[in-house]
Amino acid sequence: MSDKNTTHFGYKEVDTQAKASMVAEVFHSVASRYDLMNDLMSAGIHRVWKRFTIELSGVRRGNAVLDIAGGTGDLAARFAEIVGPTGRVVLADINDSMLKVGRDKLLDNGLLGNLEFVQADAQSLPFPDDSFDCVTIAFGLRNVTDKDAALRSMLRVLKPGGRLLVLEFSKPANPLLSKAYDTYSFKVLPLMGRLVANDAESYQYLAESIRMHPDQETLKEMMEDAGFSRCEFHNMTGGVVALHKGVKA
Amino acid sequence: MKPVIDPALHTAILAAVERVINRALALAPDSAAGLDALSDCVFAVHCTAPPLDVYLQPGAGKVRLMGIYEGPVTTSVRGVASDFAELASAKDPASTLINGCIELKGDSAPLIELQKIIAALQIDWEAPLVDTLGDVAGHQLAQLLRGAYGWGRQASTGLGRQLEEFIHEEARLSPPRLELEDFYRDVQQLGLRVERLQSRTQRLRKRLQQLRG
Repeated sequence: MSDKNTTHFGYKEVDTQAKASMVAEVFHSVASRYDLMNDLMSAGIHRVWKRFTIELSGVRRGNAVLDIAGGTGDLAARFAEIVGPTGRVVLADINDSMLKVGRDKLLDNGLLGNLEFVQADAQSLPFPDDSFDCVTIAFGLRNVTDKDAALRSMLRVLKPGGRLLVLEFSKPANPLLSKAYDTYSFKVLPLMGRLVANDAESYQYLAESIRMHPDQETLKEMMEDAGFSRCEFHNMTGGVVALHKGVKA
Repeated sequence: MKPVIDPALHTAILAAVERVINRALALAPDSAAGLDALSDCVFAVHCTAPPLDVYLQPGAGKVRLMGIYEGPVTTSVRGVASDFAELASAKDPASTLINGCIELKGDSAPLIELQKIIAALQIDWEAPLVDTLGDVAGHQLAQLLRGAYGWGRQASTGLGRQLEEFIHEEARLSPPRLELEDFYRDVQQLGLRVERLQSRTQRLRKRLQQLRG
């Protein structure tokens, strides 16, 4: 970041105020084909990453869970089954297109009763303090303009002892894997985006935003700075994706 | 214990196994119903060779497998893979648990109940065939498969019995089980007699020394 009033949007430096609307445009554009593209781009592995997130969350019957940037509701659907009728799951997303796709998908699958849908900005969550046993954000934090503010907001809404789980693309540990991953991200992803979703630019942004996202250690430090305790991360698929966990003391 | 392999791989393996188990349970309604009674239980399986931790949580007609679980565990078992295979197929699970090499912590009753459900798993293979091929063709194929399976099972039992007889009785390559057990019993008795004779000799030697002294 070269100036306090600018931030990155992929590799571009943009006005801080403009980033949210630019990210919103990307997600309005990809919302209808989001699940299909996720399956294609990751060869279905994103389901395994999300499954591990659910395992590490330790969510149990009766818990209250907030899934921020929940998109098409993969995590929220599973959490709704686990917490049962005595629990509560809130699927939150800043983007109304994504939220609509997620809401329709979950309702079509017969999931209702313990599920709520809220359009919310991760930086200023519209929930009272100490509301949730677990907060998750999967592949969403890198799109947030002020990540530190978002982490502080998540800490605020968590109950003492509650867990935050951040599932996000990260930095592969192996240089060879890193090279192959770069080629895949910058050559194959935009091509796939153009062919399947007719939108190469959004997938170019996806690849760039991953590279601009803090690496594993930096994100862990950011979580500690925000006030989380017992912060740790688990690399998955050689560090292509990392799952960070922090606890509200 | 954290998984020793990449969490994504570990999770993918568990997801695949869970899918297979739940698919089988969907075809075995009796077993699936039995799992409902164990829905508040979590079983931890710590396999030392190969190193793998699995947490099993029964639910409404299905099971959930996890690689990590931080909550309270009902029953925890530790052992090598072959010990668990032996327990899963044992006719008397309580005896296998007591006499086997598995280390158990927590309540054994739900584990024995779970083992009984697994051992009594009766999969109705006809249902998916009928769903796919229709009533007539599905039923005919299922009968054919059942017959082939029954014949295969009978043939394999018969072959095993004949092979055992040939090895023990005809070729005398290995002694029969009863003969071997008799031999072990004789060796054990001989050992006991030698020990008794040794003690007696020692006692007599001591007495002789006392008489001389």
